[in-house]
Amino acid sequence: MKSKFKRDIQSLTDIFNFIEKFANSYQIDGSISFAINLAVDELFTNMVNYHTENPNDILISLTKQVDRIVVTLIDYEVEPYDINKSKEYDTTMPLEDRKPGGIGIHLVKKFVDEIDYTYQERNSKITLVKYLEKHHVRD
Amino acid sequence: MFEIKMNDSNEIILSGRFDSSQVVTANSVFEKITQSAVVDFKDLDYISSAGLSVLLVTQKRLNEKNQHLKLINLNKHIHDVFRYAGFDTIFLIE
Repeated sequence: MKSKFKRDIQSLTDIFNFIEKFANSYQIDGSISFAINLAVDELFTNMVNYHTENPNDILISLTKQVDRIVVTLIDYEVEPYDINKSKEYDTTMPLEDRKPGGIGIHLVKKFVDEIDYTYQERNSKITLVKYLEKHHVRD
Repeated sequence: MFEIKMNDSNEIILSGRFDSSQVVTANSVFEKITQSAVVDFKDLDYISSAGLSVLLVTQKRLNEKNQHLKLINLNKHIHDVFRYAGFDTIFLIE
């Protein structure tokens, strides 16, 4: 399943419905669909916030394979941003030192099993893999 | 659909999906909180980092006055979000 979504935070409801339809059609476990939802939400929100003037829609595709769900997000005509190189979020910081930034990418890394990033012809492509059997969290 | 309201006991009741599209709505209530309060997650299905950030900013502001939020009735998935973000150590969760 794939669909393009308007670069707007208000698209999140349509994205949620898109993921829910996919999860229902393949009878995906609730823990898996929650993880996919969160990862796509965080990455889409970042794409919207980092390129507010960009007129292009963002493509999201969901594929069920034997043992995994593969999710891709493609952001067209943007500057590169490799989330695998993002700064680690320190989850042990005391309350007074905490800042909102960086939590979303940290959660994406925790909730999915593999993250791949490619940048070609000014298009950013993020591929996420969530295994169906292992409900574990990445170290 | 996201909703936030206060009940007669001054508890904040959240329901639906708390994502980045709901930050303005949520802040309209959380910014008015000036003392310790209970936040009930019973009917909340989902929270993203945007929702966590609203709670974090509120908790930091209250903490300066030795006040805090208490979070109750988190579902398993939302509890995981708090745990993975290390937020279970900076909020009282019951």
